[in-house]
Amino acid sequence: MDEARSRLFIFSLLVATVIGLLGARLVVLQLIETDEYAEESEKNSVQPRRMLPARGLVYDRNGALMVSNEQTYSVTLTPRFFDMDKLPMLAELLDLPDSTVVAKIKDARAWSAYKPSTIFSDIPFETFSHLQESQFRLPGVNFVVDEKRSYHSAARAAHALGYIGEISSRQLDTRREAGYRMGDKIGKTGIEAVYEPHLRGDAGQRFMLVNVHGQEVKSWREGTQDVPPKSGYDLVLGIDAQLQAVAESLFVNKRGGAVAMDPNTGEILALVSAPDYNPALLAGTIDDRVWSGMNQDENKPLYNRATLSMQPPGSTWKPFMSLVGLQEGVISPETRIHCSGGFHFGRYYKCMGAHGSLTVADAIKKSCNTFYYTIMSRMKLDRWADWARAFGFGKDVPTDIPEQSRGLIPDSTYFNRIIGEGRWNLSSIAKPILGIGQGNMGVTPLQLARYVSAVANGGTLHAPHLIREMVDPETGERYTPELPASVQIPVDDVYWPVVQEGMRRMAMENNASARWDDVVVAGKTGTAQNPHGEDHAWFVSYAPFDDPQIVVAVFVENGGYGSSVAAPIGGLMLEQYIDGTTDKHPAFVRRRAMTNGSEGLNPEDWDRWHPPTADEIFGPRESLRKSIAEAGEDETPVVQTSGQ
Amino acid sequence: MNKPWYQRLDYIVIFAWASLVALGLTAIYSSTHGPASIYLLDTVQQNFTRQLQWVVLSVIAICVLLAIPSRVYQSGAYAAYGISLLMLIGALMFGREINGAKSWLPIGPFSLQVSEVAKVGTVLALAQLYTQQRNETNKLKSALIAAGLTLVPAALIVLQNDTGTALVFLALLPVILFWSGIPLPTVGLIVSPAVAGYLAIVYWPAAIVYTVLVAGLLGWAARSKIMGLLGLGLNGATVAVAVVALTKILQPHQAARIASFVDPEKYRLTSGFHIIQSRAAIGSGGLTGKGFMNGTQTQMAFVPEQSTDFIFSVIGEEFGFIGSISVLILFAFLIIRLISDGVSTRHPFPSMFAAGVTGIFFAHVLINIGMATGVMPVIGIPLPFMSYGGSALLANSLLIGVALNLHMRRDEFPRYG
Repeated sequence: MDEARSRLFIFSLLVATVIGLLGARLVVLQLIETDEYAEESEKNSVQPRRMLPARGLVYDRNGALMVSNEQTYSVTLTPRFFDMDKLPMLAELLDLPDSTVVAKIKDARAWSAYKPSTIFSDIPFETFSHLQESQFRLPGVNFVVDEKRSYHSAARAAHALGYIGEISSRQLDTRREAGYRMGDKIGKTGIEAVYEPHLRGDAGQRFMLVNVHGQEVKSWREGTQDVPPKSGYDLVLGIDAQLQAVAESLFVNKRGGAVAMDPNTGEILALVSAPDYNPALLAGTIDDRVWSGMNQDENKPLYNRATLSMQPPGSTWKPFMSLVGLQEGVISPETRIHCSGGFHFGRYYKCMGAHGSLTVADAIKKSCNTFYYTIMSRMKLDRWADWARAFGFGKDVPTDIPEQSRGLIPDSTYFNRIIGEGRWNLSSIAKPILGIGQGNMGVTPLQLARYVSAVANGGTLHAPHLIREMVDPETGERYTPELPASVQIPVDDVYWPVVQEGMRRMAMENNASARWDDVVVAGKTGTAQNPHGEDHAWFVSYAPFDDPQIVVAVFVENGGYGSSVAAPIGGLMLEQYIDGTTDKHPAFVRRRAMTNGSEGLNPEDWDRWHPPTADEIFGPRESLRKSIAEAGEDETPVVQTSGQ
Repeated sequence: MNKPWYQRLDYIVIFAWASLVALGLTAIYSSTHGPASIYLLDTVQQNFTRQLQWVVLSVIAICVLLAIPSRVYQSGAYAAYGISLLMLIGALMFGREINGAKSWLPIGPFSLQVSEVAKVGTVLALAQLYTQQRNETNKLKSALIAAGLTLVPAALIVLQNDTGTALVFLALLPVILFWSGIPLPTVGLIVSPAVAGYLAIVYWPAAIVYTVLVAGLLGWAARSKIMGLLGLGLNGATVAVAVVALTKILQPHQAARIASFVDPEKYRLTSGFHIIQSRAAIGSGGLTGKGFMNGTQTQMAFVPEQSTDFIFSVIGEEFGFIGSISVLILFAFLIIRLISDGVSTRHPFPSMFAAGVTGIFFAHVLINIGMATGVMPVIGIPLPFMSYGGSALLANSLLIGVALNLHMRRDEFPRYG
């Protein structure tokens, strides 16, 4: 072998060795450690993305759609991957000045350069589709398609439905296990909060291939590994959307609340708190001005007066007192008590008139105070308080409405606590007025509706509830949720008809506002004395008398007399539910229902955070107005009101 | 002289060239036409079509080169070298800057990277130099002239801020010296510090062991203590300089750029990013690869410069071990075949030319694939015939064309014993 040949051999050997070493490196990378690198490359480009399920829909008791979902579009931007040269293009597509977009990008950069930030939410669909067409020219720009609630019925039912909002960090701490992530929506109040686990459904997962800029390119393995989300349950509520809408319209420009219930089941047929708000304002991105407007409004539109407002019940308390007096043996159905216009107990307590000799049914009809001062004076305070609690007062009502007051039923423990043991006596606390639902006590409209339901059905205290059933949107299967058990009030069966009769006579013979046509109505008005201002108006009622289908409890804050302010509203609600119209009541009742008790509020005041006027929102009110106009001249009421 | 010209062509070289070019085009197509390619720059999206034009141009150039009598290359060698230098200076003065390197001259609609084309002139000049000096007894004098011929263009290219390409010129030296008849131990002495420097970066104790071993080997091979001491000194100095430079002299980011291939995780978001992504691409390819247009690293553009310097990662990911080892084997074939073709002529010009060509290809393959697989620092030089880049493809094809010519017309050369 000559010199050249041997050098050729050495060179070839060197080349083969070096290339062999590179080949060995390939063996290590591709054959031995390939799993490790496969995982690394997968981690790079395959990204799991959560697919949020469609939130359950909400229907009223007749199947009318109340709440559904609509899509919203948001723009996100990852500052690290965004090319600032593309700023004019992005601003033009968004139809915004460059400076606005720059400010948003600055904010995003301040938060994180590498993570996408939402820079504009709830953009119009047009803008979204233009942007999407140009997305490939805008690295770092991406979209979030989300859903927000949309509302369909004439009824707002804002306090019953509640609203959803971004999860708070405190809620997130406890709910991370359940699959919640930062920025997720969660029910904040109403049924949205109570039935959150059912409405939400189960999130799915899809695997996307993303490029080095984090832009989604296509689905991984043609989506075969994806897990579809499972939609939330649809809810069917006991609410009657028509009744709810009519009731809301009757509360325009008033403060107050109303609860309508099915006395046979405890289903809530209507839940009104006024002033209310348009729930659509709290769907999707909430305008800061709207939110602070609602919170600062002195009339507190977010406050649920139907369950939180506690006031003395006034004379609506008298059916309760009658039942307790009968059961305790203080009176019998035939016992007569003489009213000479007042009652002595330490001092003189006045009645509204000298009613003469009355049975208990008379006393309810005439709303005689003397009769109930007498019963109250013959009962021990704590015994009375126990009975009040047996009727569901002074304690939490088992219900699916998340917020409520317990109300106040005073007993000796209470007075010892707030006045001091030995520093009060029965006359100093004006014990007799507790017998007529005045003084140091408070009940909520919900508690009153529940108690009147028990009166109507002969003693069963149901758990008032908004939900009727849940429907699996995929299978159509229906579930009735477990409800708290109903309780029987330990009052003998014979006494209920006595009180029912008193209430029938009250509504049929004393007050003309509730009844209509030949429907027999039972009811009781009430006026809660208010040392701080105008009295509060109450009305509780049920109908039809022989086969009760609906109970209403109406409360108008600072409304004045229950008989002229609250009773007309209650009467129209009864008619709407039973006959599906409000045309059969005399025109004066409809006028009263709309106007009485509404002087205290300046509509400009509480409407300032939602531009449309009340009339625009409340169709039913318009039809009411029309029916009054058609009825022609004012009719004189047949029976003048006199109840308190 | 009996066989017709087409029977004297080396079809193995042509086959290897064509295969590598075809694989390169495939990989370029895959990296620029996937579902995510709309996010790539418009210019990158056109890489495939433009490379195809350069391939056509290269085929024409090879055909033209084959038609030229071989003595023209010998007589025109220095002229070609001179033109190369002029172009390098021209680029420095009037050239365009692309990716930070001012080594581009606009020629018509194209931009020519003169640092690539200058290789052809330099290799021709070196071959001619050794042909003229074949009887020169002072081997050192020839070696110094050869070094000068190589270092002048290399220096100009460094000035153009294209260190990677300049490094390839330096790789010419030991190969040329090896073929020039210098004693093997001397060649070993010159080559060995490169390995010492590499080991110093990777793991310095190994570099010290290596230094001692090499010094002993050199001393034994040359039967000379001085040779051994020289080996010890040269390698030792290289290791010391490398270690001191990395820890004391260079700025941390400069040191990181060199050393990041040793521990790329440490520099994940900076200088280690290329290496991590390329390694993940090649490693995840496994035995058979993820399939054409199906590599997630490639299609989702995780490997930077994947149609140019990191083209090997595309092959590795989409065609797996089978694809990437085939590329290595093709290069090994091409290099060994080219050098043995050159040597078989038994004339210094073709054999020295082949030595230069194979030196260049070998350096490119080693550095480029070493970098893609994470065993070499990231030095931006293309993989011959495969990386996107018209100038490099043309220059490398010109080298192939001349080598084919010299082999085809080997009988025109007088044979030397």
